Amino acid sequence: MKQKMHIAAVAAFVILVIVTFIVLGRGHTTQRLQSGFLGMISPFLRHGSSLDRKYNEVREGLKTLKQLEEENKRLVVVNKDLSATNQTLRDMEAENNKLRNALGYRERSVFKLMPARIIARDASTWYQTIKIDRGTSEGVNPDMPVLTEEGLVGKTTVVSEHAATVILIADENCKVAANIEGSNEKGIVRGERMAEHGIPQIGMIFLTKRANLQMGQKIYTSGVGGVFPSGVLIGAVKEFKVRELDGYASIVPAVDLTTIDDVFVVISGSK
Amino acid sequence: MIFFAVILGSMFVSMIVQHFIGPLPVIHARLLLMPVIMFYGALALPLPGMLAVTFCGGLMWDALNTQYGDGGVEISAGWSIVLFAALGAIMSGFRPLFLRGRWEIHCLLTGVCTSVIVLAEYLMITIRRQPVHFMFDDQVWWRIGGAGLAAAFISPLVFFIFNYLAALTGYDPQPERAEPKH
Repeated sequence: MKQKMHIAAVAAFVILVIVTFIVLGRGHTTQRLQSGFLGMISPFLRHGSSLDRKYNEVREGLKTLKQLEEENKRLVVVNKDLSATNQTLRDMEAENNKLRNALGYRERSVFKLMPARIIARDASTWYQTIKIDRGTSEGVNPDMPVLTEEGLVGKTTVVSEHAATVILIADENCKVAANIEGSNEKGIVRGERMAEHGIPQIGMIFLTKRANLQMGQKIYTSGVGGVFPSGVLIGAVKEFKVRELDGYASIVPAVDLTTIDDVFVVISGSK
Repeated sequence: MIFFAVILGSMFVSMIVQHFIGPLPVIHARLLLMPVIMFYGALALPLPGMLAVTFCGGLMWDALNTQYGDGGVEISAGWSIVLFAALGAIMSGFRPLFLRGRWEIHCLLTGVCTSVIVLAEYLMITIRRQPVHFMFDDQVWWRIGGAGLAAAFISPLVFFIFNYLAALTGYDPQPERAEPKH
């Protein structure tokens, strides 16, 4: 009797696995499953994240009135500085658009940014992803660029109603077409599988062997491929080496991917 | 049935908790809680229960971890179910000893099986990502072995907690264990 039950259980399991493979064999079904699961866990991640933040705030200690005053003074100065820079950039943008129009180019669209908070970092061993607290209800869709004021972070993959998974530029699967400041070199930026002392590594491949890049040269998105807008800072060249078939540059990312807490999703003007 | 639901619920919760546990210092391996609970389930429950637990575990794992490469899904969702069931079957093979109240070897085996999961993931992504380049340096081995070591280290505590929860729900996972002599 017990043996019969075991055989029935194994048979049921095998059938279930086959059905699962058939159903999930189609990419969009897997994405729907992932989106549903992300939707299920995101409220817990959100609460866990806010608890984690509160714990860290308590651990770091409360600031004295004097410290707050000093910080406030510093922030006022930074704010004025940023406002001035912003105004200058606006003028330059308007001028740039006018010149582009004069040259017959399509007017470059201005990004519409959706601020998002990181609610969880990846829990797996081999992938570099984060989870953010914005989803389809806030206008976020798969394959939207994610950045900070410092530079590129990655792109969205699985999106649920109020959360999304972002694959970081430090992941081997995130490939970004890029070009290098002061050079005609173009290539693909992608993450390395292995981190160095826990710090994610990225590199630029498919460069010419005679690229001869210098340390500190800045790398920007080229806009080729249609996912990432052009001109977003990715990082700076750390080292250039010639390989058998191409040139390779290791990059210092512009954004510290291990410490960021808040990001922006480019919800329009990305294409 | 209640205990089965407790194990499933705990697996779900552990998947969430794992997000807030960073990589282990120095070796950068992950503390994988869900497989430890799942392997406990594979030991404590009879064959149908073991299969159900590994099925749900594999599905949750893939729902959370499946990545997208150039040509869509990188590793088809569903492979974890097969892998977890195979490892669960190995654990289940040691069940007679567990029923008699022993759990030392099972804790070590939990560590080994957890390392096998991480290794299998690594092999699959290496084969899937072109060009195929098997890189097995110290860092890779530490990530694989470290996850197993961490799992083996915490498994006695997890087993103890779940034996206690089993008692609370009226389920006896080790009915053949020797009663203490008075």
